Amino acid sequence: MKLAHMGVGLAMMGLAALTAGKAKAEDQELKIGVVAAESGSFVSAGNTIAAAAKLAAAKINDDGGIKVGDKTYKIKLYIRDNRTDVNVTIAAAQELVNDIGVSAIWGTETHDFSIAMAKITGPAKVLQFSGNSSLGSALNTTSVAPDGWLHYAFQTEPQEWQRSGSTARGVLALLTPLMKTKPVHSVVLVGNDATGQYLSSHYVKALEGDGQQVDLVKYPPDTTDFLPILTRIKGMHPDIVHFWYNGDSTLTAFPQAEQIHVAPAYFLFGVDPGIYEQRHLTASVPVTMSCVPECWGGPKRPDVDQYFAKYFGSGASKGPQSSVSLLYYDYFFMYAKALAEAGKVDDPDAVVNNLLKMSYQGVVSPVPLTFNSNHQVTFATEVCVVKPNTSDDFTCTTEQPPAAPPAGDPGG
Amino acid sequence: MEIFLQQLINSLSVASVTILIGMGITLIFGLAGIVNFAQGEFLMVGGMITWALVMAGVNFFVAMVVAMLAVGLLGLTAERTLFRFTLTRPMNGFIMSIGLSVILQNVVIRTLNEVQKSITPPVTAVWTVGGVDIIAMRAIVVAITAVVVAVTYFGISRSRYGVALRASVADQDTAALMGIPVKRYVTGVFVYGSVLAGLGGALMIALFPITPFTGSVIIIRGFAVSLIGGLGNVGGAVVGGLILGLVDALAAQYGFPQWTDAYSLIVMIVILILRPQGLLGGTMGPRAT
Repeated sequence: MKLAHMGVGLAMMGLAALTAGKAKAEDQELKIGVVAAESGSFVSAGNTIAAAAKLAAAKINDDGGIKVGDKTYKIKLYIRDNRTDVNVTIAAAQELVNDIGVSAIWGTETHDFSIAMAKITGPAKVLQFSGNSSLGSALNTTSVAPDGWLHYAFQTEPQEWQRSGSTARGVLALLTPLMKTKPVHSVVLVGNDATGQYLSSHYVKALEGDGQQVDLVKYPPDTTDFLPILTRIKGMHPDIVHFWYNGDSTLTAFPQAEQIHVAPAYFLFGVDPGIYEQRHLTASVPVTMSCVPECWGGPKRPDVDQYFAKYFGSGASKGPQSSVSLLYYDYFFMYAKALAEAGKVDDPDAVVNNLLKMSYQGVVSPVPLTFNSNHQVTFATEVCVVKPNTSDDFTCTTEQPPAAPPAGDPGG
Repeated sequence: MEIFLQQLINSLSVASVTILIGMGITLIFGLAGIVNFAQGEFLMVGGMITWALVMAGVNFFVAMVVAMLAVGLLGLTAERTLFRFTLTRPMNGFIMSIGLSVILQNVVIRTLNEVQKSITPPVTAVWTVGGVDIIAMRAIVVAITAVVVAVTYFGISRSRYGVALRASVADQDTAALMGIPVKRYVTGVFVYGSVLAGLGGALMIALFPITPFTGSVIIIRGFAVSLIGGLGNVGGAVVGGLILGLVDALAAQYGFPQWTDAYSLIVMIVILILRPQGLLGGTMGPRAT
């Protein structure tokens, strides 16, 4: 009897081992890396990548994984904090590519870092999805060609001249009817670092292209007390002050500007309407904000609201630019579709070709996502204005990008 | 003229928080002989505690006092468990304080998160006098700083404790032979400097949002202020803070605003070359014994 029991037990154990082995064989692992600033000065933007990646990977895995050929793959994320440091970024990319063997990397959001990372991902044929727009200056016919160093890199954020063009047009269109006189003089206040210089060069050209006389005022990147600089700007008698690029700095500077009434209208770049409302910010004058592709906060839209409910529900912080997470979320599903269509995971060239042919409808935009031949995405900018003395009364408009860069802007 | 006056007023408020952090550093560095690079993080922790309490509905000024006490306790713990063992090897203490600053940053990130924190200013009035805007909360910060400076100055220069403390700095062995409990005094100075950092953090968040990384930015200015004025010299910290505030404000108005930090540090370098002991003179800082 005992022997019979032991026999049944051994048979069950063997069956269980076989079943487990079969399940393991069916559920393959797809390694994906994330390199993002989870500490350091870019942490607000960096955390959106990691949070969006976790959310997207969980959704794909919960839905059964990615079916590639006759195998099903579950995503395993390898998230690395680059500490807003280029050397740490390079080390993380080397580890992910050479030691762990990821198929793709999401990040970084930090502009010049992603270029450094592409030098590692490119030769290893690892796909790289970087949201930052300065990558656009390096993506061209030669660099994305099959033998080019950026063949496996994709820019998930629109080119800066496009974003600047649609943003400037939207800001002026919303503010002009609300002001006593037509605005003609803008001051752009920007952090004096590589990203600030790059981004503001396009935005100033876009404003000038829309008829503004523009003064550019730069501040040291870690400034907290903006009063001396804002006092100088007030003396310039601007019609609009544009707080450009770093959301945290904008949220520091803007309340100080409002205390001494620097200008009759403002534009806050890098600040979602949702954070404006959450911080109970108000101003006695109209204030505009912009988001690419869609704003967190502002008018209600079921798809976007549902996404942000899940996003914050997953533990993501309510940062100044939570909308940036959308730039990374949808591309997980787009990549999964490209992999499925390729039929195998070890053919990155086929995945690149599939991505270039694909038109993918995600949460991001009413218009499907497509990459152009230079691996760059294009979509509209949402610009919102908040009614004076309120924190939550927003009117928003969607501005399509201009067809060509303004005079004096070389593109990129 | 209005703009110039406005910038002079601005320079006072710019200087205030810097003076508080600089004063803490100058006392700990100059009198206790400890180079505490985590002093900026102590300030940040003070700001975060204030934020948490105000968000929980506590009155700002009550939260400020709690933050001062809490950061004082943090200072006491750090001195007793870490820095006490490095008094004879100041360089070890310096490196340890850098490690402590990174640990505190990460503790705050993991406990709260990395997102910038702000509160509604407890006082929101803005007075306009002769075309010059005076922001009430900034005026309060300047006033509190002035009171703290006066109390500290007289405490160091006039009280028995202050005299004994300066005697310990001059010659620890002789001071100890005279019955002065040198180690206890070092602890006292460290805790007081920490309390000042807690106050600085509370006042800072009343003016600006702060992040877990705020301390690492402000610490450089704190050391600049203490070195410009003279280590261990409270009046020197005030003079150093005012100079940096004035340089910031006037550079923003009449120079290249993006270079304001550089102007301040150039001033520090020039002063340290011309007067290595600082403008008002001070101690020689930490010494290995």
